[in-house]
Amino acid sequence: MTRRAKLILTFIVAAVAGHIGLVLFVPHFLMNIAMERVSQDGELINQFAFGSRTTQNSRSVVRPSPDLAYATCAYDLSNGPLLIEAAPSPNQGYVSISVFAANTDNIAVFDTSQSPEGIRFVLAREGQATPAGTKAVISPTVRGIVLDRRLAPNAELFAAADQARRGDKCQQLAS
Amino acid sequence: MADTRQLTSWAIAATIASGLIVGLLSGWSAITRGMGGENYNGWSGSSVTGSADADPWLRARVAVSGLLALNKSQAIYFTRKTDDAGDPLREECSYRVTGGALPGQWWSVTVYAADNYLPLNDDDALSFDATEVKPDASGQWSAILAPVRPEGTAWASTRKAGAYDITLRIYQPNEQAQADFATIPMPKVTKLNCGGKA
Repeated sequence: MTRRAKLILTFIVAAVAGHIGLVLFVPHFLMNIAMERVSQDGELINQFAFGSRTTQNSRSVVRPSPDLAYATCAYDLSNGPLLIEAAPSPNQGYVSISVFAANTDNIAVFDTSQSPEGIRFVLAREGQATPAGTKAVISPTVRGIVLDRRLAPNAELFAAADQARRGDKCQQLAS
Repeated sequence: MADTRQLTSWAIAATIASGLIVGLLSGWSAITRGMGGENYNGWSGSSVTGSADADPWLRARVAVSGLLALNKSQAIYFTRKTDDAGDPLREECSYRVTGGALPGQWWSVTVYAADNYLPLNDDDALSFDATEVKPDASGQWSAILAPVRPEGTAWASTRKAGAYDITLRIYQPNEQAQADFATIPMPKVTKLNCGGKA
């Protein structure tokens, strides 16, 4: 192989590595930033943080919906599974609980049309014991985000949704 | 000989550096074009948004412009940057958005500035949704995108939005919509005037 051919091949390999490396790195990087923000720099791990009504000044996550009330739980399964619970909103208003792994994949979602009495499941890593009879979600990553979305397109509905979500749980499963 | 080896090392290092820069720039270009996906009458959306089936490029695009997006079993997202004539959406122009019944339990249309956040205005009208529009007897509804509140119709404010885009969210879509986005009757976006001039 000539010296010129070697340099061209080296250039191509470096370009492909740079391109793919960035594409693979960005979701983890941005998710890490989001986890830092929703956990208030690591202060609120495995507990819900309740966002105020979405306004033009909401800047923790891109493209927030002003029609929804958000509550977030940055999870860490290092010390075992978590119990996740969400109570329904008044008047059967839309509520969903979604789980996002550290690579941004939406690995599970539940809503109160499927579970009108409220949402309840255990979040665990592969190999962690979960209680029999309780729905289990297996996370491919140790860390991630659980997100509670509730329909709240005006101040009155936001107040009602906010009151209902205060009963949410994202806590270590009792041993 | 020593000078020749040093020159070769420098050449290799420069080649690697320039290759990495080109790769990083092409990667950045590939993931900053919005959430991507297929085109449906001017709206773009992908059936694998939020899913573990998303390829690394779509996953990265969604992370940049739609982090924490739900998968299609719960919500379908469509975005558009242009009106029906293909012209970019502009803050100073007014547009009529028209449509019929959408195949989900609830839907909304939200304005986003170029930085992927809500426009920095205090009009308390950053979106309109299924509960605000007033369908006629045939189920058709209309709403306005404009920098100034119109009389008597649903409205999303574009004030301070610059060159913006809009996102349609359809929550709890029915099975047919999930299976084939092409069956969804997408709303139309028609320019009315710019700066008050038709």
